[in-house]
Amino acid sequence: MDKMIRVYQCEDTVDGILSAIYDAGISGYGHEYIRIEPQSPGYTTNRTLFSEYITVQTDSGKKDSVIKAVRSKISWKAYAFMMNALASDFSDRGDVVYRFVAYGFTMGKQVCEALQLPCVKRIFAINRAVQNEAHYFNEFLRFQEVAQEPSLLLGVIEPRHHVIPNLMQHFGERFISEWFIIYDKTHQEAAFHQADGSWELRLLTGQEAKKLEELTEKQEEYADLWKTFFDHIAIVERKNQKLQTNMLPLHYRKYMTEFH
Amino acid sequence: MVLQEKAGIKEKLAILADAAKYDVACTSSGVSRKGEKGMLGSCEAAGVCHSFSADGRCISLLKILYTNECIYNCKYCINRCTNDVPRATFTPEEVCSLTMEFYRRNYIEGLFLSSGIVESPDYTMERICKTLHDLRTIHRFNGYIHCKAIPGASPELIEEAGWYADRMSVNLELPTAKGLQELAPNKSRSTILTPMRQIQNGVEESRLALGMKGGNQSAYWYTQKRIGRALPGSQNGQIGSRLLHGTSGQEKEVTKEADIIQPSKATALTKWENRDISRGFVPSGQSTQMIIGASGESDYEIMAVTEALYRKFDLKRVFYSAFVNVNQDVTLPAWNTQPPLRREHRLYQADFLLRYYGFQANELLSEKRPFFNTYLDPKCDWALGHLEEFPVEINSASFDTLLRVPGIGVKSARRIIKARKTGNLDFEALKAIGVVMKRAVYFITCQGKMMYSFLKIDEDYITRNLIDKEPDVMKGYGEKVTYRQLSFFSDSEMSG
Repeated sequence: MDKMIRVYQCEDTVDGILSAIYDAGISGYGHEYIRIEPQSPGYTTNRTLFSEYITVQTDSGKKDSVIKAVRSKISWKAYAFMMNALASDFSDRGDVVYRFVAYGFTMGKQVCEALQLPCVKRIFAINRAVQNEAHYFNEFLRFQEVAQEPSLLLGVIEPRHHVIPNLMQHFGERFISEWFIIYDKTHQEAAFHQADGSWELRLLTGQEAKKLEELTEKQEEYADLWKTFFDHIAIVERKNQKLQTNMLPLHYRKYMTEFH
Repeated sequence: MVLQEKAGIKEKLAILADAAKYDVACTSSGVSRKGEKGMLGSCEAAGVCHSFSADGRCISLLKILYTNECIYNCKYCINRCTNDVPRATFTPEEVCSLTMEFYRRNYIEGLFLSSGIVESPDYTMERICKTLHDLRTIHRFNGYIHCKAIPGASPELIEEAGWYADRMSVNLELPTAKGLQELAPNKSRSTILTPMRQIQNGVEESRLALGMKGGNQSAYWYTQKRIGRALPGSQNGQIGSRLLHGTSGQEKEVTKEADIIQPSKATALTKWENRDISRGFVPSGQSTQMIIGASGESDYEIMAVTEALYRKFDLKRVFYSAFVNVNQDVTLPAWNTQPPLRREHRLYQADFLLRYYGFQANELLSEKRPFFNTYLDPKCDWALGHLEEFPVEINSASFDTLLRVPGIGVKSARRIIKARKTGNLDFEALKAIGVVMKRAVYFITCQGKMMYSFLKIDEDYITRNLIDKEPDVMKGYGEKVTYRQLSFFSDSEMSG
């Protein structure tokens, strides 16, 4: 190889990866020689000889300018693809987004349909994985009332990807006049929604997370009624456990009222 | 008869969920409505499933009967008046609080309210209207409501319910009038088709006055429009009946009766001034359901009736319910036979072919071949009978041609059309697009080549491979890879 691979090592966050994409993009070094490597806590670098390593400083200004460029020079759909990919848990997402954006700047909005290109195929698949997971939680998330006057609803999930922003698009509108919390146990983050107001997403401290988990221990009358309904709505003559498991995989059932 | 008048809400819920479970349509699709401050809920056009019961069917709505008391004696029905079963009746308040509290906890997408017929059709319909009225106006519920129109109820009450409900349905019960006469002596074709026609006219009027908000068109309508066929609707009565008679050969009684009820020119909706019209009238349209396997109809007759319903009554969906002999009635098929689930499945597959793929009933079945193939789905079956139309070249075929290829659905056909604008597609790209290769592979080429050189376009060869658990195509994958990997990222199916 005549040219060294250049590895941009960055923080494992949306801001970090987009800052790396910004730096890599303006370097003009050549797309095929660039790798983006997000470094999660506890990550040990597997350094290779003959590569150049660059540590990226996270900078929200750089993030904003990448986002602005993608929206205006490619499309809003490309922007959605990019943000969903960044919300995912796949370790290749930095690289995939970099290549996708690079193609996008030359191809324009058509890039989202060009499934022949490996990076588009991959970002499409990642996008689908994130959206499918979010959709599953739109369906299977269960709230319980943990306080009254005013009523407060709490729902717990254990997703693979960061799906809360996706979920809030759905629940923020549907339960617009409710106070509610969606708690993501995997990533220790939660969305807090104010009745008729805004919502915020933030990382939780260990104590806050513990408090939320204690709240879910209470039993509810309506949960009991729901289980009654759930048991009686099935037709015995048509029992089909395999179909049920296909449609509602076991790992989603952990926090579902009707399976407790 | 046990009357559980003082039963608690839990006992009532158990009885009335049990009594409602044989109703099939638990869908929450067809209408999109945003949340509003001060109200609870919103609606998603694609519908949302919330759980899956032990029989694997989707639970989207709180599906209950208002009461399971009934003055009728339909032979197939668990709630018929001669049965000795526990009976219960909700109050409107109970239904409202169950709906609201379940909805807030994200258990359900809305309410599906049906009822046994207590006292009279009008009395029953009036109780349903009162419940829906309270739910919408007192409890400010903005989620999905599906309610049954009770056959024989007065038009005023049907209209009243339609202003609160998103979807309404009148059960056809049995595919033919003869079957209905034998098994449901208190119901007649005309008491079923009259409210169906009224709702259809109401939806059309609402759509004219309010646009898309007043009710969107059905998938069947869009498909007919795309292909350039006559559109369904009461205005198209003549074309509809020509098609019906053309396809059937022998006239079926349902079509004759459907012709008797001519589209009325009179205004269907009379309550515009004093009702909340912001949601429109039955904006998600109407559906119906019929029992499969209780009387002796063929699949061909069932599909012809289905097509007539889509064309002449502009239905959104027709549902099929495999017959379960709950009453062990001697005039019905033996109680110890399994419900005809495979047959029901084939009918649903064919139903999708009518609504989304532009197939017509007489393309799939005929007088001479009146039943679906048990081993092959209707689309594969059709393709095998029309091998002269294959293989199809992925990089140049039209949308409608792609849609007729087994393994290619509406979504993947759309993706193919878009993707090939940016460059030629190969088989790897088709996998990413979501094409089911194990079926498609016999029927397609990419840039003139089939995926494997050993594939043959031969009816026996393809049939054997489609049915075989280890078909020839496996050779192309080598030992380690199985088909399962293909479905890894496939879209979740959202219909219920």
